[in-house]
Order: sequence, then structure tokens, then C-alpha cells
Amino acid sequence: MSRQWLTVGSAALTPGLRHWLAPLVWLSLLVLFATGMAHLEGAFRWLEPDSREVIYRRAGFIALLGQHAMVVGIASLVAVVLGVGSAIAVTRPVGRDFLPLVSQLASIGQTFPPVAVLALAVPALGFGTLPIIVALLLYGLLPIVRNTLTGLDGIDPDVREAARGMGMTRGQLLRQVELPLAAPVILAGIRTSVTVNIATAALGATVGASNLGDPIIAGIINGNTAYIVQGALLIGLLALAVDSVFERLLRRG
Amino acid sequence: MIELFGVTKRFGAETAVDALSLRVEKGQVCVLVGTSGCGKSTTLRMINRLIEHDAGEIHLEGAPVRSFDEVTLRRRIGYVIQSTGLFPHWTVARNIGLVPRLLKWPRGRIHERVEELMALLGLPVQEFADKYPRQLSGGQAQRVGVARALAADPDILLMDEPFGALDPLTRQALQKQLQELQARLHKTVVFVTHDMDEALALADRLVVMRKGRIVQQGRPIDLLHEPADEFVESLLGGMDRGLKEAALTRVSERMLPLGPRLLASERIPYDASLSQALSLMLWHRVERLTVVDGEDIPVGELSLRRLLGGKSS
Amino acid sequence: MESGRCEPNRVLLVLMLAGLFAWLSLDAVSLAPNRIVSGTPYRAFQILGGWPALALALPMLIVAGLAWRSSRQALRAALWGVLALLTLLPWWLVAASVDLVEPGMAQARVGIGASIWLLLFVWLLALIELRTRLELSRPLGWLLLLPVLTSWWLALTWGQAPLSLYREYQARSDQFLTAVSTHLALVGAAVGTSLVLGALLALAMRRHPGVRRASFGLLSFLQTVPSLALFGLLLAPLAWLGARVDMLAAIGVSGIGWAPAFLALLGYSLLPMVRNIYVALEEVDPAVIESARGMGMSRRQVLLQVRLPLALPIVLEGIRITTVQAIGLTAVAALIGAGGLGTFVFQGLGQAAMDMVLLGALPILGLALIADATISALSERLRPGGAP
Repeated sequence: MSRQWLTVGSAALTPGLRHWLAPLVWLSLLVLFATGMAHLEGAFRWLEPDSREVIYRRAGFIALLGQHAMVVGIASLVAVVLGVGSAIAVTRPVGRDFLPLVSQLASIGQTFPPVAVLALAVPALGFGTLPIIVALLLYGLLPIVRNTLTGLDGIDPDVREAARGMGMTRGQLLRQVELPLAAPVILAGIRTSVTVNIATAALGATVGASNLGDPIIAGIINGNTAYIVQGALLIGLLALAVDSVFERLLRRG
Repeated sequence: MIELFGVTKRFGAETAVDALSLRVEKGQVCVLVGTSGCGKSTTLRMINRLIEHDAGEIHLEGAPVRSFDEVTLRRRIGYVIQSTGLFPHWTVARNIGLVPRLLKWPRGRIHERVEELMALLGLPVQEFADKYPRQLSGGQAQRVGVARALAADPDILLMDEPFGALDPLTRQALQKQLQELQARLHKTVVFVTHDMDEALALADRLVVMRKGRIVQQGRPIDLLHEPADEFVESLLGGMDRGLKEAALTRVSERMLPLGPRLLASERIPYDASLSQALSLMLWHRVERLTVVDGEDIPVGELSLRRLLGGKSS
Repeated sequence: MESGRCEPNRVLLVLMLAGLFAWLSLDAVSLAPNRIVSGTPYRAFQILGGWPALALALPMLIVAGLAWRSSRQALRAALWGVLALLTLLPWWLVAASVDLVEPGMAQARVGIGASIWLLLFVWLLALIELRTRLELSRPLGWLLLLPVLTSWWLALTWGQAPLSLYREYQARSDQFLTAVSTHLALVGAAVGTSLVLGALLALAMRRHPGVRRASFGLLSFLQTVPSLALFGLLLAPLAWLGARVDMLAAIGVSGIGWAPAFLALLGYSLLPMVRNIYVALEEVDPAVIESARGMGMSRRQVLLQVRLPLALPIVLEGIRITTVQAIGLTAVAALIGAGGLGTFVFQGLGQAAMDMVLLGALPILGLALIADATISALSERLRPGGAP
């Protein structure tokens, strides 16, 4: 009976679920490590035999992970809306005047080091979660703007011409032709933006935002490698999980 | 019916189309021909308002094009361009069904219409419906382009060098297909090309353009007989003009009934052109050909003197 | 562009109006009696009865007016207008300091407020816009900034404006110079080493596909490790090595300091470097190589005379990416005691001393921009036939 269920189960895995296998695996590993880090005390003890404490306990890993994901999530969401929106706006007749400036700005902005952006956000916005969200948002905006512009620019002008000639309205042209055709490039930009931001968000721990960067900073200050590994492990798994989702989306597109 | 009255278009200091007047009757194929940059494409694109004209008026069935909403206008006019402009992310069937979908036809009707058009253009539904444009050859893609333009059964078809990027064989095949389609559908067609052979083959009315103006217009045969100036003459092929004219006339128009004489050994189909007949005579060094019908049954004969326009042999 | 008619340049118009709005409605400067106390904000028109504020508002209105009819002459005039604004601004700050700072306040600091930051931002955007519209070359664009920078320098030194950022610099100018040189030394060492190692690795990859797969896999993985974590993770192993191996300890290898920073920087730099060198060597048009061989060039000649010159711009692009990235990462390395400009950032954040944060962050930004501009210009120079 149970054997039969198993085969049914694996058959049901095709094709819908199987495609999402990699993201699911990374995500479950992430949750597993975040909840059960304390059970690995033995391993961390081996890594850091001299320290009194080998598991970071100042805050729960789930809470830190939640904070981290929330900060990156909010920043990325706003960055996607603003980035794709402004790139679309400057490629329409209304905003075309702004295209040269925006595309130059997007390429100049790529050279801004994330630390500098973060450091500049603090004097303007004070300590805490807000400056890190704003810094991530600003920093994450650029690859999205640039890739959306590249994607829209890469569309064969004849396809656009044909679409207009067939009597598509500007809205239909954008939704049915331009965005679907540019989607892979836009998605690649969002992917870069989000993965870089997951790593950069860790720096937020230095400006008073509490997230997965906390254990790392604490580890550096106290010379406790176990803390650093715990923070890095979770950030890495989060990045891999998110990245595999994008990988999946891109392959389907 | 399409009418242009003193239509002008300027791009900056450049005048692309200069006070152009033109009248295309219903069911007529009007071919605009000229060297590149003569304003023929601009003229075409002003009809469906992809380019707005600066002065003059363009009328469709007596109403100025500006009186229509531009999107509604374009959905009523078929449009075919050289590079096809097929949407690479849509299947062939979806591409063809574009305008009906924009017009919100019911699903079933769109489906029917797409299959009908694919059959009309010789694209087997089984084989092509689910293919993507990048999987098609140039000729197939252009047939899909034509099918897409015909989808909502527009009265008017605008074609901007539709066969310009194809190899000569495919191009001729598509020209022939277009002629057959036109014989059944009787659309009002404005066709832009720089290829004079194509223009002569397709046109009911030939319009030669230069520097934004019409140099000469009329039936192809009339232009061949009396080119307005040296420019038109050179465009029409100069010394090759005779052959081009001969290419416009079918053997069946010149042949005589079978006479008492023996059948000539070389045969030619009755729907071949006079230039092909001349070529056969040159090749076989004969002065007489037997004209046969589709079943290879002799129906008449053609002599060299007759071909040249003489009364009888 | 091709038409003789002039439509308004809406970009410039919007920028100038935004500038005016910021100038009139936001805080321009703040005055603090010393470094610790937070300052009292002042708006532009509260200073010297508002007349100097008007003197800056007027050119902005003129530039906006010029933008209305954007002929080439008008845009050129607008360019001079924006440059004049940038040149005048520090003198307005001097005037504001004279007005606000009373003689007894030796420790007083004048902080730059939101309004002025926004003005600077908006004006620089206007400069970029004008440079693009007037099709000025990059070097000329930089050259135009020279009088502006001179003016700021004069205002700070000769005009003696007690700007807080400048005061902060004066207080630790020695430290600042050390930090800049440490920063640059780390970046230079990492980029230089990664260039050599990258070239060797890329050559090995061309020979052995196995090496290629393994290296790209490893280096890509390394790129995904957050910089903060990688720096941290290197602490313990290096401390262990420093403690056990005397020779390493003698050259200064220890858990904290330059050694982990250098290694981490090298790790991050290798991927873009190797990738670009590999691509540069691999993706030279095969027809070009074919014809070079066909003409009877030896392998060596093909490499030296054909492959390398064609590859150079792509390699330079790799150096550019690596350098810009390393400048940013070195800032993070301050957290593990590697020194550099990041020290100011993190110390400043620790003490909530924003001027100190800026003293670190702004030069980091500047270095990144300068490195990017210089190497881009160089690679444009070297690109055969100009266009890519």
C-alpha cells in the first residue's frame, strides 16, 4: 500500500513540482538550519573549541532571517516597481527626454560601492532599519533600470512597427509585446539586484539594523568563527534559494 | 478606395513627400516604385498613420484618415513589412490571430479564421500552427505575415517591400501566390518595392516616384510604351524594356488557332509569357512554337512574326 | 535634433525647478557649537537677510529660462550657468559662516544640510545632461569641473569656511592620508595579483576544460559568499597560521589586518578578471585568427600581434570591474582591522559622528568614480577602430 503511494507520489512530482525542486530544497535547508542551529552545537564546538558559547543566542535565527528577508524583500519590491516603472516611463514618448540622463545615471551608479551608499544613507536617515532599506533600494534600482532599458532597447524595431501597424494601442504594445520580450533581461536584472542585496544587507548590522549580519559582526568582534559560520551559512542558503527561484523563472521564460 | 490630395511630409529640413496626389481604386493593386529614399515607404505609412502627414489630405472611402481613431484605422487595414515583424514570443497561430483578438472576436471564430488563412496561404495547420517564428524559413515567415495582415478581412492591404529579403525563387513563388490571392479576394492593395520586375508583374497601376514626387503613373504597359523621361526609362530597364514588356503579355493573347501546317516540335504552355516564348525560340533556334494547355494538348501556335506583333504568319 | 525648431529641454527645466524648490524650502546649513552637539538648522533665506540666497536662485531661474528654448547656444549658456552655480555655492557657504558663526565660537562647525546636498546632486545631473546634449567628450567634461573644484578649495582654505566635513578632515589629515594610501595599496595589490594569477589561470583553462569548469565553479561560488562573512571566515585560519608559522608571522600575517583582507579581495577579484581574460582570448573572431594563420604568422606572432591587441580592451574592462569592486570591498575590510577609508566609516558609525562617516564614504565614492572613469577612458583609447 505504502509502496503504491510512493510511486503515485513521484508521478505527481512530474512536471510541475519537479521544476521547483531546487528552490524547494534550498528553502527547506534554510528553514531547517534556521530552526535547528542549536542541534549542531557539537559541530560548532569542534570548530571553536575555546569559546564559552558556540551558538549565537542574542536573537533567534528565525527572527534574524525574517528581518533579513523582510528588509531585502521590501527594498527589492520597491526597487522593481520604481526601476521597471521609470525605465518604461523614459522609453515612452512622454518621458523620452529623460532617457539619456537616466541611462547614464544607471551606468554611473553601478560604480558606487554598496558600503558607501549605506554609509551615506545613515547621515540622511539616522540609524536602524530605514537607512538600510533605502540604501538597498537605491543600490538595487540600478541593475533593474539598466536591464529594463537594455531589454526594451533590444526589441526588434520592426516588431514594434508591425504591432503599431496592426492597430495595437500603446498599452497593448507594452503589455503583450514589449514586456514579454524584455522579460528575461529584466528578470536577470532583478536577480542581480536581489542577490547582491541579500549579501549587502548583512552590512546593515553595522548601522543598527538587526539581521543575519549580526552573528557575523559579533563573531568578528569576539573572534568567534562559529558565529560567523552561522550567519554566513544562512545568508548563503537564502541567496541560493532566491537565486534558484530566479533560475527557474528564467528558464521557463 | 484610397485618395491622396497634395500630401506633404517633412522630416526636419528634408521634404520626404512633396504635394503628392494619388488615387487607388477599389480592388486595384497600386505599386509604388522608385529608388530608396524616394518617399514611397513614407507615403505608404502615412495611409495607416504610422507617420502623420504635414499637409494635404488622405481619404479612405471618402473620409479623411484623421477622422478615424488611429488604432481603429489600423485594425481595418492590413499591413505587411519586409522583415515580417512577427512576434517572436508567439506561435504562428497566435500571430495570425492578432488583429481578430484585438477586435475581440469570439475564440471559436478566431480559431476558424486562423485555420482558413493558413490553408489559403499553403501553411498546413498541423505542421505550422504551434511553431515559433524563428523556426520558419524566410518564405514561410512572410506567408504568415501576409496571413496576419489578412486576418480581420480588411478591405485595404498595405505592403512595404514584403518580398524584399527573400531569395529570387521564393520571391517569385510568393508573387505568384499573391496574384492568385488577389484574383480571389479583390483587396485594394498599395505595394511598395524597388524591384521593377516585381512592380510590373503585380501592378494594375504603376506609380514611379522620385524625390517625394510622382514622376509618372499608369498601366504598366503604358509606362513601358511611353516612359515620361530618361529616369523612368532607365528604371524600366533601358534596353531590356522590350523583354519586360514581353513578360507582361501571355502567350494565349498572341497565339493563333492551329493551322493546317504540321505542329512545331517545341511546345510552350498557354499561360507562359511572350518573353519566355522568345527565350525558347532563341534557345532552339526555331521561329514557331506549339502552344499547349494544362494537359499538354495543343491549342494553338505562335510564330516569331506574330510574337513581334505582326498580323499573321 | 534634426529639426531647426527648439523644443524645451524638459530635463533641465525639471532639474532646475527641483533645485529651486530644495533651495527655498529645505534646510541649507546647520550650525553646531562643537563636534558632538547636533546643530541648529537654517534655511537659505534666513542668512544675511536672504539676499545671497536670491543670488543663487537667480542663475537657476535663468538656466530654467534657457532650457525653455533649447537651441545649441542656449544649452551652452546653460552649461556656463550651471558651472557658475557650482562655483558660487562654496562662497555662499563662506558668507553663511561669516553670518552665523560668532567670534567666540572657535569650535563651531557649519554642517551642510539637505538642501545643499540636493542642489549639488541636481546640478551634477544637469551637467551630465548638458554634456550629453552638447556631445562634449568625457575628458572635456572632467576639465570643466576643474574651476569648480578650485573654487571649493579656495573657499575652504582662503575663505576659511568652518565646514564640518573640512574640520573633520583637518583634525585627522594624517590619518586620512594613511587611510587613503592603505586603501589604494590593498586595492592595487589585489588587482595586480589577480591580474597575474588570472592570466595564468585563463591560459590553463584554455588547455584543460576540467580546470575551466572547476575554477569557474569555485570562483562563482566565492562571489556569492557575503563579503562580510568571507572576511570573517578568514580570521581564524590566518590567526592559526600566523601563530604556528614564524615566517608568515614575520611578514605580518595574523588573524586580523591586511592578510585576510588581501586574500578575500583576491578571491573576489579573480572571477571577473579570469572571466574577462578568458573571454578576451577565446572570443577573438575565428576568421581573424584563420586569416592570420593563412598569411603565415606563427602561433607566437598570432598571440602577440593579433590576439593580445584585440584582447586588451576586454582585459581592461576586467581590470575596471575588479578595481571598482575592490575599492568598495576594501572599505568593508576595515571591520577586520585592515585599515583604509572604511575605518572612518565604521568608527564614525560607532560614535554616531556623521562627519567622520562622510569623510570615509565620500572619498570611497570618489575613488570608485575616478578609477571607473580613468580605466574606461584608457580602454576606449586602446580599442582598435574606436567602436566596440
